[in-house]
This record gives sequence, C-alpha cells and structure tokens, in this order.
Amino acid sequence: MKTKTIRRRKKRIFSLLLVLLTVCMTGCGGQAGDQKEIQTDTGTGEEGEYKTFVLGDTTFNAENGEEDINPHNENGGWACIRYGVGETLFRFNDNMEIELWLAKSYENLDELTWKITLQEGIRFTSGREMDAEAVKECLEALISEHARAAGDLHIAEIAAEGMELTIRTEIPVPALINYLADPYGCIYDVQAGVTEDGIVQGTGPYKAVSLTADTGVVLEKNVEYWNGDPKIDQITVRTISDGDTLAMALQSGEIDAAYGLPYASYPLFENDRYTFTGCATSRVFFGAMNFESEITGDPAVRKAIAMGIDKEGFVETLLGGNGYPAAGVYPDSFSFGGDAVTAETYDPEGAKAVLEEAGWTDTDGDGVREKDGTPLVLRWLTYPSRQELSLLAESAQATLGEIGFQVEINSTANHNSIRADRTAWDVYFSAMVTAPTGDPEYFFTYHCLDSSDSNDGHYHSDKLEQLAQEMSQTFDTDRRGELAVEMQQTILDDNAYVFCSHLRMSMAARAGVTGLAAHPCDYYEIMADLDVEQE
Amino acid sequence: MKGIRNNRIKAKLILFSVLVLLLLLAAAFAGQISPYNPNQQNYEIALDPPSASHPFGTDRYGRDMLSRVLAGGRTSIFSALALTAVITVTGTAVGVICGYCGKVIDAVLMRIADICLAFPGLVSALAIAAVLNGGTVNAVIALAVVSWPKYARIARSRTLAVKSSDYIAAAYLAGDKPMQIIFRHILPNIAGQVLVTAVLDIGTMMMEIAALSFLGLGAKPPAAEWGSMISEGRSMFQLYPWLVLAPGLGIFVSVMLFNLLGDTVRDYMDPHSRQRG
Repeated sequence: MKTKTIRRRKKRIFSLLLVLLTVCMTGCGGQAGDQKEIQTDTGTGEEGEYKTFVLGDTTFNAENGEEDINPHNENGGWACIRYGVGETLFRFNDNMEIELWLAKSYENLDELTWKITLQEGIRFTSGREMDAEAVKECLEALISEHARAAGDLHIAEIAAEGMELTIRTEIPVPALINYLADPYGCIYDVQAGVTEDGIVQGTGPYKAVSLTADTGVVLEKNVEYWNGDPKIDQITVRTISDGDTLAMALQSGEIDAAYGLPYASYPLFENDRYTFTGCATSRVFFGAMNFESEITGDPAVRKAIAMGIDKEGFVETLLGGNGYPAAGVYPDSFSFGGDAVTAETYDPEGAKAVLEEAGWTDTDGDGVREKDGTPLVLRWLTYPSRQELSLLAESAQATLGEIGFQVEINSTANHNSIRADRTAWDVYFSAMVTAPTGDPEYFFTYHCLDSSDSNDGHYHSDKLEQLAQEMSQTFDTDRRGELAVEMQQTILDDNAYVFCSHLRMSMAARAGVTGLAAHPCDYYEIMADLDVEQE
Repeated sequence: MKGIRNNRIKAKLILFSVLVLLLLLAAAFAGQISPYNPNQQNYEIALDPPSASHPFGTDRYGRDMLSRVLAGGRTSIFSALALTAVITVTGTAVGVICGYCGKVIDAVLMRIADICLAFPGLVSALAIAAVLNGGTVNAVIALAVVSWPKYARIARSRTLAVKSSDYIAAAYLAGDKPMQIIFRHILPNIAGQVLVTAVLDIGTMMMEIAALSFLGLGAKPPAAEWGSMISEGRSMFQLYPWLVLAPGLGIFVSVMLFNLLGDTVRDYMDPHSRQRG
C-alpha cells in the first residue's frame, strides 16, 4: 500500500515538474522571438541579394539625449545623421574643413546676410522635392524648437525663392555655415511631420521604418537617393548601452559592427577577422577649476594640479594608446590646435616646489600638505558614464597623492546638480566635443565667459572677455584661428582648465564590412557606400 | 558509533575554526604581510600576468593583485562580520522584547519587520545604498536595514516558547525583574539557534556586500574590495582573466570556509544531529 502511494506521489511530482519545465521553455522561447523581431528580418537565401546589416551602438538612448532621430529634439540630430537618415546643407571633410552637401554654393552678401543655393533633384523620402521653401520650413522649425540652435544661429528672417535661400541674422554670425553643418541642421520634410516614435523623412541614403526608444531603429534603403546607390536593403541599429555586452555581441556575430566599445576590449578586435578603424576627434577630457574654492582659488594649487597629472601615462597605459595627450582645447588636426599652445607638463618635483613656495607644507608628516591648518584635500567631481573619466580620476589620485594632495573622488551620475553647488567640489572633470562644427568659438562661449551657461568654476579673465568680443565680430578664418590660440593660452596661463586627452574614436566591424570608417567629427557613420558581404 | 560521530564533528569544528582564524589573521594583518602597497601605481608593469614577483599578476594601473586581494579581504571580511554582528544584536533585541512584552509593542515592531521582509532584500538594499550615496559603511547600513527582521522573527518565536516554561514562572515568583529574566533565563536559552544562524549568514553577507560593491555602491576608489575589483576587471576578463579570478578566489575561499564552519557549528549545537549517528 505504502509503496503504491509513494509511487503515485512521485508520478504526480514528476508530471508537475514536466508542466513547469514546459511553461518555462515557452516563456524563454517567447522572449527570444520578441528579440528577433527587433534584431532583423533576415531575408537572405531566397532572393539571394537581400542584404542586411546590424549596428550596435552604446549612445542611441534617452540618457544621452538621443531618444529618437528627430534633429530638433535634444541630440536626436546625431542619430539622424549617423544612421544615414538626414543630411545637412554643409558637411566636414576629414580635416574638418567645411564642404558643400545639400547646398550647391553659398555667398556672404554682408555681415548679416547669407545666400545659399541648393542642389537640384533631391527628394525627401516622403517623395516631396527639397527646395528652398522646404529648407526654410525646416530651419524655422529648428529655431523655434531647439534652444541651442536658436542661440547659435541668431536667425532673424529667411526668404525662399526656387532653389535660393536667403538668411538674415540678428547679429553678425561669422560661423553660420559651420553651425548649419551641426547635426541639428539635418533637413527633413516638415510637412510630412514627425511620427509619434520620432521618425522624420530626410534626404539620406536610408529611411527609418520603425523606431523604439532605447531599443533601436530599423532602416530601409532609399531607392531614390540622389548621391549614389545605397547597397544594403535593411539596416538595424540596436541600442546596447553596456560596452561589455556590445563587445560580446560583436564577437558572437549578433551584430556586424559596433560603436562605443570599451578600450579594454580593443585587442579582441585588432585582427584579421575584424576591421578596426579610428581617428582623432575634438572630444576632450578636461577639468575645470573652482575659483570660489579655498583650495583651487590658490593659483599655486592650480599650477601644481596641472603639473601633477601624468597625461602620457594615462593615454599610453590606461587607454592603451587609444587617445592623444592634450595641451589645449583642440587636437592636432586643427590649425589652431595641438602644439599651437603651451601647457604645463607632468613634473611632480616641480609641482612640489610650487606648493612649497606657496606655503603648502606637510607639517604633521601624514603625507598631506597643509597651509594655515587647512589640509590640501582636493574634491574631484566627475561621472561614470564615460569610462575614461573614472580611469583619469584614479590615475590622478595616485600621482597627485605623491605631491601631497589628498584626492577625494566623487564619481556620480548626479554630477549636474552637484556642480551647480560651488561649495561641493574643487575640480570638475568632464568630456566635451570642443569643436563640433570645426569652429573655435563654441568652446569659449559655452564654458569660459561671464555669460557662459557652463562656467562651472566662476572663472573670469578681462583679457579673455576682450578676445571673445573680437572673435564674435571676426569673419576672417585665419584671424579667428589666431584668436583661438590666444584665448587658449590665456586660460592655460591662468590654469583655469586642465586638458588631459583627446578621444580617439574607434569602430569595429566584422571583416566583410566596407565603407564604414570613423570620422573626426564623430557623426558620419552610415553612408551610401556602406556595404557588407553576407555570411 | 555516537562517540565517533561526535569526535568527527569536534575535529571538523576545530579544523574549520583554525582555518577561519587564519583567514581573519591574514585579513587583519594584510598591511604587514602584503608584498607591496596595494594602491601603489606603476604603469610599467600594468597588466602583467602572474609571475614569481606578482603571484596574482597586476591590474591596469600596475598595482599588485595579491596585495589588493589581501587588502580587499580586510574590507570584505570585516565589513561582513560587522554587518552580521549588528543585525544579530539588533534583531535579537527586537525579537526578545516583542516576545517578552507582547501586546502593542509586539504588534508594532513585528509589522515593521513584516514591511522590511515584504521587499526583496538585495533590491531594497540597492535602493537604500544608492540614496545614502555608496561607500562601504553605507552598504553595511543598507544591508543591515533589510536583514535584521529574520533574527527578530527567530528570537521572538524562541522567546515565546521559553517564556511559557515553568522555570520562567518560578523566576518570576522568586521576584526576578523582567531584565533579569531576559538576561539570565531567556537569552542563554535562545542563544544557540541565533548563533548558528549568524555564523551561517556571514558567507551570505559577504556575497551581498560584494554584490553592492560590484554595482558601484560599495567601496570607493582607490580602496580595494573584492566585489569592486571583479567589476573593474570584468571588461578585461577575456584578455586578462587574473583580474577577475584573483578576487573571485578570495570570495570563494572565504565564503566556503564560513559556510563550512556554520554547518559544523550547527551540527555541534544540534542534539538530534549528534544523536542520529
């Protein structure tokens, strides 16, 4: 009797387990199916020529201001231009010099008036012809919807006639053409509108067919593209915000190319099975000193910090050589960048002497210097989403520690609210594209002037204000370059900022992918010549 | 038979106690026995594989991994011990008070405990640690907030059982004050079970502290801690596996030792287990 009951019970438990297992497997299967839908509809085989391509990207997400591909929505223009949907009137070549794109020619009639003639025969993916009226509508929408664009362009009035566009500005804007090449300047069909998901109809080689914020976007070939023949039938851009996951996705073949790989994973892709490209960008990792702090208010302390950061070691070892030690605001590729300015170099002994002379001495022998009872504690504010910043902080913590600083790192995603409180930090390290439009004015108006929104450390220099005033009225490119050098030297002489390294932007793709290369401006990625050999 | 089994348990208890003691000594004197300064950076030897001079290799800053694992052990082990001590004492105190006093105090404190138990432990700990802005001490506080109710429950149920015994009634009749009854008669009688639970929990607590550190809510740089070391080395696992394996080994060995010790203490304290043989 007893054994029978036990057997029956066992049977029941076994069947229950079986049911559970089936339920679990169905659940898993469902998930995989969902993911596949987002991934790609591989239609290879039957038609033979149907080409697909999957790009993994760490930056296409709301956290980064790229919720969708609407160029008038925060940083949506970056996604719009990167994924081949939108194009701008002007573009940059590999030396960051301005070139024509949707525009055929331009003319500066007087300080306030610009005449732009458009290319003929270009159609939006909505089917509408791109004429001056369409561009006017788009630019007018831009300045009413995008605060930064409105502040850069200062457009008073736009007149459209056939293929000719006349723009009149409120004040002289010498860099207007450069600003029109910013990703926010992507031209799309305003009459066709923006879908609920944030899809716009541009003029690029691909058109977006579906978009899910923080998940990805699916693109299809624009068969009527004006400037070449796009080669891929369907492209899927997948948002993979974690760098390690992205690296593994590329290794497993889940994606064909990746943007935003962690430095540590580069050696995995520097071989025959992958194409690895990189180039210098104007993204700089730099620190702003707080002039209201008791510590960094002292010029000797600022000088010692500038002398106490081992930029070479940071770039060569911690970034594995994937970067460029910085002197000033702009990288070597700019005529007014690189060695055009002189900055403090790594010199720990010199830094010690500077501090000693200014009265910062280690009286109690604990390794940290003091002056009038105040210990040399440096509160270092930064954030974790750019991996270089954390590495830089920990590297400087050690090198500055040897000089007699005690560096307290606060690496937090909440940095924006903390930096507004000037009693909470001494140095603030961040990353910034200093010349997104190839022109030098942007960095200074954004960071260093009395009127700047992001002058976090309350830096002020009469000389710099004067030079900035002159630059805002100078149209001559060479003179602008000279002014840029003088302005950089001014902030470096005051040690108001310390520039550590410039980013080398790298992309990896599996072998067989052609026409995908890193560009110094960091926002041209998917172009008409992108091709892939199907596996 | 019984004697042999008892002896075996005793031998195991001694063996694991000695091993745990060695572990604690190694952690306590990490500063003295480390071959190098755990925070000393040297880019020239960055990411060197394990060798005679650096048995666990070096990390991306050129810091010696063995020294960092030892220094990390101090943080990990002692914060786990401190955490376990805090939750054991707090939980037991609450449980005994509830069990002894009953009525409103019992209802209020136990409902608070129920609320804490209603949320998944590690997830609430994550939220609390994030609000407190990270750091080892804050991670310990966060885990303490979510872990004490378990001890309160055990202590309360044991107190209720002991309280109805005749010897408590006798003590009461003899004129003992409530505090005397709790300290002289109740606590000694419930201590065994609480202690076993606590020893078994040390390993779990160590893992949870490491988990918070792994997610960036524990130790802050340049302090070494096993969880944060694994997190730092994660992206380099394929190329430089020792960055993850060395701190992983630290966690594995110490959690295993504390668990084995906990099991043995349970066997030793549990009369059924001793008599079963």
